[in-house]
Amino acid sequence: MIRHQGAGPATEELVIEAREALRHRVRRRAIWVGDHFRREWQIYVLLAPTIIWFILFLYKPMYGLQIAFKDYSIFRGVAGSPWIGFEHFQTLFGNDQFLRAIKNTVIISFYSLLFGFPMPIILALMFNEVLQQAFKRTAQTIVYLPHFISSVIIAGIVITAFSPSAGIVNTVLGWFGVDSIYFLTKPEWFRPIFVGTGIWQEAGFQSIVYLAAIAGVNPSLYESAVVDGASRWQMMWKITLPSIMPTIIIMLIIRIGNMLEVSFEMIILLYQPATFETADVVNTFIYRQGIQGGQYDLAAAAGLFNAVVAFVLVMAANTIAKRYSRTSLW
Amino acid sequence: MRKLTLTAALCASTMLTAQALAENDHRIVDEPLVLTIHMHWPRAQGYDENYPVERVAREMTGIHLKDATAGRNSTDSNEAMNLLLAKGDMPDIVGGHLIQQPVNQYGPEGAFLPLNDLVEEHAPHIQAFWDSHPGLQEAISSYDGNYYYIPYLPDGEFGRAWYIRQDWLDKLGLEQPTNVDEYYEVLKAFRDQDPNGNGLKDEIPYFARQWEEVNRLLNLWDARSSGSDTYHDFYVNDEGKVVHPYALEAYRDGIAHIAQWYEEGLIDPEIFTRGSSSRDYLLSENLGGSTHDWFASTSGYNQALADKIEGFNFIPFLPPESAGGVRMEEHRRIPIKPDGWAISYTNEHPVETIKYFDFWFTEEGRLLANFGVEGETWDMIDGEPVFKPEVLNSDSPVNSQMYLVGAQIYRGYWQDYRYEWQWTSEPARKGIELYKANDLLIDQFLGVSLNQEEQAVYDKYWPSLRTYMLERQQAWILGTGDVEADWDEYMAQLERMGLSEVLEVMNSAYSRQYAG
Amino acid sequence: MSGVTLEKIVKRYGTATVVHGIDLQVQPKEFVVLVGPSGCGKSTTLRMIAGLEEISDGELRIGDRVMNRVAPKDRDVAMVFQNYALYPHLDVAENIAFGLRIRRVKKDEIARSVTDVAKILGLTDYLQRKPADLSGGQRQRVAMGRAIVRHPAVFLFDEPLSNLDAKLRTQMRAEIKRLHKRLGVTSVYVTHDQVEAMTLADRIVVMRDGRIEQIGAPMELFNHPANTFVAGFIGSPPMNQFEAAVEMEDAGPVAVAHGARIALPALDALKGAQGRKVIVGIRPEHASIEPVGKGSTVSVELDLVETLGSEALLHTSIGDTPFVIKAETGGDTDHLSSVNAFHVPVERIKVFDHETGRVLGSSQMGAAA
Repeated sequence: MIRHQGAGPATEELVIEAREALRHRVRRRAIWVGDHFRREWQIYVLLAPTIIWFILFLYKPMYGLQIAFKDYSIFRGVAGSPWIGFEHFQTLFGNDQFLRAIKNTVIISFYSLLFGFPMPIILALMFNEVLQQAFKRTAQTIVYLPHFISSVIIAGIVITAFSPSAGIVNTVLGWFGVDSIYFLTKPEWFRPIFVGTGIWQEAGFQSIVYLAAIAGVNPSLYESAVVDGASRWQMMWKITLPSIMPTIIIMLIIRIGNMLEVSFEMIILLYQPATFETADVVNTFIYRQGIQGGQYDLAAAAGLFNAVVAFVLVMAANTIAKRYSRTSLW
Repeated sequence: MRKLTLTAALCASTMLTAQALAENDHRIVDEPLVLTIHMHWPRAQGYDENYPVERVAREMTGIHLKDATAGRNSTDSNEAMNLLLAKGDMPDIVGGHLIQQPVNQYGPEGAFLPLNDLVEEHAPHIQAFWDSHPGLQEAISSYDGNYYYIPYLPDGEFGRAWYIRQDWLDKLGLEQPTNVDEYYEVLKAFRDQDPNGNGLKDEIPYFARQWEEVNRLLNLWDARSSGSDTYHDFYVNDEGKVVHPYALEAYRDGIAHIAQWYEEGLIDPEIFTRGSSSRDYLLSENLGGSTHDWFASTSGYNQALADKIEGFNFIPFLPPESAGGVRMEEHRRIPIKPDGWAISYTNEHPVETIKYFDFWFTEEGRLLANFGVEGETWDMIDGEPVFKPEVLNSDSPVNSQMYLVGAQIYRGYWQDYRYEWQWTSEPARKGIELYKANDLLIDQFLGVSLNQEEQAVYDKYWPSLRTYMLERQQAWILGTGDVEADWDEYMAQLERMGLSEVLEVMNSAYSRQYAG
Repeated sequence: MSGVTLEKIVKRYGTATVVHGIDLQVQPKEFVVLVGPSGCGKSTTLRMIAGLEEISDGELRIGDRVMNRVAPKDRDVAMVFQNYALYPHLDVAENIAFGLRIRRVKKDEIARSVTDVAKILGLTDYLQRKPADLSGGQRQRVAMGRAIVRHPAVFLFDEPLSNLDAKLRTQMRAEIKRLHKRLGVTSVYVTHDQVEAMTLADRIVVMRDGRIEQIGAPMELFNHPANTFVAGFIGSPPMNQFEAAVEMEDAGPVAVAHGARIALPALDALKGAQGRKVIVGIRPEHASIEPVGKGSTVSVELDLVETLGSEALLHTSIGDTPFVIKAETGGDTDHLSSVNAFHVPVERIKVFDHETGRVLGSSQMGAAA
């Protein structure tokens, strides 16, 4: 301001000054960063395995995603294979069976979410109300058990249970005079059986995270409510559920992100050409398609499509969660 | 003079011996040569340098194979091959299970050496095999006309056979069915007349371990289920055209009949879900009446169940004559396996390697590959290789013992059926002889090698076509659709889904490959 | 307003008894503080009054009603918890209204009550906030609001200030006191902090190991502790206590310890007590560095001077027994560094039985009861 008579040089000086200041600050920042690393290096060493893991197993493989747009040959390698643009995507979307597989994936996922997501929460709430410890432990063990059985065995159990000749389901139906049904060849039964199996297999184990969340609720909240005169039912609705709501929302967002990851081996084990109509999902479609000669490029294209959809779903779920509750993944 | 003569005579005899030796001299290199090998196969995911067979072959040829198998931690040979290819540094020899597809795909790209000229020049025994077995070399050729691997060539012809409970037939006073109508009556009798005598109508007249074997019944109405030992495969018709069995008129009639049999309870109602243990279960529970399955393993039940089920007698019978009067066995052993070995582009000794491959096609090499080391596992008796009694009577199966010594493993070699015959059970031998005597075999479709454009067409249409065909097939058999009513729609849909295009590329590849 | 009566209240967990039959009569509108070290049973007692713990034995009455088997909600009590027990998913207004809503009070009535309470506690501006967005003091006020809004017959406080910093604690202490004056509700308040007890209570109940050591008004406990425990617990710094032997002199009994001779009050219990072992108690504020009228002078060795401002704590020793003296500084500590003796008036000295720790004497005890 004082120098406004000699505008030219003054401006120049100001610029120089500003630059000096900036350089100074940068140098100080650099020193600060150096100091910081020297002082806190142990923490960065602890962080390193995770970062390395991410780079090695999540970011580096992303390089290979490009084969979705290439005519990939293993021998030529990722870099050596020629680009072919969106041809694989055109192939996929030009195929009625792929579109059907998308439809089935969405429907099965939606049912799994609709019926499968609340189950572990309900289970956890129920376990929380059980006061008899021995009974509680036994019941928990029983519902956790199916999670630890391999899918092959589970599928065997399901096939046997729904067998028209010896299956328990048809036996019970027989008591009510219902003719035995060959469930696993009926397209209309596949989804209920598959979704039900998934719930049976995983609901117990998934309830653990909610039980942990419930265990973390401040017990004086319940005591306070008792003094206020709340019933057990009211405490469940007004204290337990709202208290574990952040956990529920986080689990829901994660679940939505994994929505298209229908448990593929289970479907392979349970489906038949007769039930493809309702059972064939994207993963099984790719599996059959790819088996003809290692069409990794096509599989990568389908995988990429899956990932994009999952990404959109997670973003949407997170945004909604952020808007309507205070909980979100990020 | 006399001395001289003696010397000359000595010389002559020495020369003779040397010549005789030269006949049997399999030495390929003077200095021992080490070649690396990838060999991934179901029993062992690698090549053991201490196999007695390898030891003897090393002594005889001077070539020493060193294990360099990729993907040993996986039992999936496809995966192992992909890993090997992706890694880039290839061993000299790439062998093992399921190498045909990768070798034919990446051979033309330069990953493997074409063998045509090498064999012609340096491998007289392999060449002799091709010459005496026309069509096989073409069958393993890639789309560029070259072939890239020396296959494992199974010997023996019959695989599966029609089996029936002879003791049930006897009990019900029935004869073995000779045609489709009699077979129908027998199955009905099994269903209705309680041959297992437990008072329940629980017999399963026709069953199968693989649900696809239900399609074998198509043969009874002059339709085909497959052209090869792979299910749902194409076949070559009488006019020399590649066709698909599920897109022919005969198939419609066949499926209609199968659907009717299924409806009537002649076919296992749970055939689609019972799975691989169904033969075990249905035979040991005394429920199953008839099936179509492998000679050796199915005959084995007679011994296994002798104590459990009185009079159990499950024996092969001749395929029933079809409605059109044809008696045939559609299934047979494939003459060429997709297994074997190939020479990779990094191999610096292709000539020595092909000579080494050729060694296994010589008399000695073939015996070594089939039976192991002479004197250790077998002896030559009256000009026949015969396993030692301790091998035949061991608790462990002969093939497992062979795998341990390095015989019968997935190298490129010609199997000798004498190896299997020696430990085939008596009922199976009888069955095989019965089938042999009746000339039941038909030609196999050995597949075609598609070029890249053809492959693209095939990949685009075929998987979906196949899926659609199987969906409809099961629906018809299960009775959720009526094949007669749906047929025109079905054919039109196949057309829309590209059946003609697929058949066109199959036929163009076929005529290219087998023209010569 | 109702009083609270505890008669021979016992609490057992399995074979362990944590409260050994206590008797306590809380008058209507009275503010009673239960104080004692942790594990003394004070919180358990409070929770038994609230109905959060079952009463193993004895009788609890609120007003005239026996409450042993009455559900908490029907006891007409409200409780304020140490960690506030606010519902994190509800805002301040909803938190305050929670108890009313559970009782299906009409909406407009709830709104009115919440507004009133918020006004009393100065929470009007924060009604829409979630607990996470409040300061510690504000949360504490919300917790009290939840109790007040229900107009209960009895307030129960379970260490409500222990999560606050020292300054806030002082402030809230005063606020609770004011609130009690204004609402006049019978209150039972648990704390381990004797300062809180002294400042808040109409009467203090000192507890130890599940038993009541002494009940009384704050100054009464201060001046006339019933035993060495109460003497040591009430007052800061605690009363100096040391062993001594009684010698009878012509002028009266004298305590002899570490060569010091301290004249004792002429208590009935000390008649003919020549050679008896006792515990002598002298409060730090009663040991004077200035000479006093009728009393003793004791030589000490000065170890350390702790300056507090207007006062200083002189850490000294008699022989090897530590002894703390509280002295006025008069704005200057220099003169304190030369202290080598203290004086104590004879009437300020407490004498306790060496075995039982009970205070000796009759005249004073009569006044205390």
